[in-house]
Amino acid sequence: MPDNAGYMFAAYIAAAVIFGGYVIALIMRARTMTRRGDAIDTVTRP
Amino acid sequence: MPIFDWLLAVAVVALAAVMARAIWFTPPEALQGEAQKIFYLHVPSAVVGLYLACPLVAIGGAMYLWLRDDRLDRLAESSAEVALVFLSIVLVTGPLWGKPIWGTWWTWDARLTSTLFLWFILLGYTVLRGAIEDRQQRARYSAVLGILASLLVPFIHLSVRLFRTMHPQPIVLAPEKPKLSAEMGLTLSLAFIAFTLLFIALLRGRLKYAALRDRVEALEAGDA
Repeated sequence: MPDNAGYMFAAYIAAAVIFGGYVIALIMRARTMTRRGDAIDTVTRP
Repeated sequence: MPIFDWLLAVAVVALAAVMARAIWFTPPEALQGEAQKIFYLHVPSAVVGLYLACPLVAIGGAMYLWLRDDRLDRLAESSAEVALVFLSIVLVTGPLWGKPIWGTWWTWDARLTSTLFLWFILLGYTVLRGAIEDRQQRARYSAVLGILASLLVPFIHLSVRLFRTMHPQPIVLAPEKPKLSAEMGLTLSLAFIAFTLLFIALLRGRLKYAALRDRVEALEAGDA
């Protein structure tokens, strides 16, 4: 049997990085948007 | 308001458990060795990206063109972005599997090339959305592009039958042999469940983000 486990681990790590990166990016985008919304609330509140 | 909830946690735990089963508790294929276990990432990502996410892009877009409901535009937009993530996994794990088995990272055969084209079209879709300021025009144009992009999916599916390619024919649901062993089949089934859960969790999160963004943009427009 060929010794190629390195490719398998590289694929699993790459998938974790892509999924994890997307989740973190989406959380950051939502935080930025929430801050923008809060800023408008602060300005418009009497 | 957090955009991710318990479902993402469940999906991540399920995915980690399935990956651990695939790596340490599922036997490798005799000829391909451990690299064959990329199968449990590559195939479910492709199935979820091509057969769940892309149809939702087309359905959301078509329904938007009919009903002009912003929620449908958000469904199409969110599905396209999540499809892009899953297809990225496919396009990264494919070459990592191809190198040890085929002896090359990439070959311009019909299956690989058409999947890459779909990835570029979905990338163009997200760029297009960022480039158009008028919300209705953005939704209309991207709906058309999303429907056209999804037309590639049947072509990608049939490409291994229509053309001579290095990419293998479907083996899981094929009536002829070779069949997967029971252990491999169970791991693959669990991987399908885990990837589907992850897709639903990511799509829900992306939909919540899109709704939040639209609310803030409406506030800003009213504020100006």
